[in-house]
Amino acid sequence: MNENRMQVLQMLAAGQITAEEAERLIAALENGGSAGVPDAGAETTPKARPKYLRVLVEAEELGNAHGPTKVNVRVPMQLLRAGVKLANLIPAQARDKVNVALREQGVQFELNQIKPENLEEIIDQIGDLIVDVDDKNAKVKVFCE
Amino acid sequence: MIPLLAYIRICTGRNRGFRLWIPLFLAWLLLAPLVFLLVPLFLVVCMVGEVDSWQALSTFWQMLVGLKNTYIEVAHQETSILIHTF
Repeated sequence: MNENRMQVLQMLAAGQITAEEAERLIAALENGGSAGVPDAGAETTPKARPKYLRVLVEAEELGNAHGPTKVNVRVPMQLLRAGVKLANLIPAQARDKVNVALREQGVQFELNQIKPENLEEIIDQIGDLIVDVDDKNAKVKVFCE
Repeated sequence: MIPLLAYIRICTGRNRGFRLWIPLFLAWLLLAPLVFLLVPLFLVVCMVGEVDSWQALSTFWQMLVGLKNTYIEVAHQETSILIHTF
């Protein structure tokens, strides 16, 4: 399997392109690269990885004449990556205690499962994600940029 | 690159508030000798905690580097706090 085809399949696996787009790209590659590719290059070029996680909150309090409470946070992804690595540095005994405490609280999650590779996958996928919560008194927006 | 400058702004009430530019590069220069002094203690703590000291050092460095361009702004009523690192 050549490199281009592998790249197309990886993009398909990562959800960056649809199956139809992958099929068209592979067909185009088989036909020599140019025939029948409808601007696929521009569409399917891997996007730049997000650098920051943004959290915007605007909460209106009833009877508050001073305006809404606002939170505007921009966290570099690099800091998140380092944070995940920090979780791996927790000594085994402490980690076990945390896992037990989590289980007692009904959280079926183990700290050992947090790995930098998982975060990389999340960051790859999170680029298109926008969490937009629009409540009567509050607006929350989480996205990557 | 580690953050070299930090900007802090605290506004309360109607006054203009408090704005401060912190030259972090000077702080790093001042703290560098202290870091060298603390290295043996750090290694001992890592050995006691059975933590890979090199990995720990690398992670702390990455956290420091990751702090660059962090922007935190919180405003509530007439009070607002802004922290921005460059």
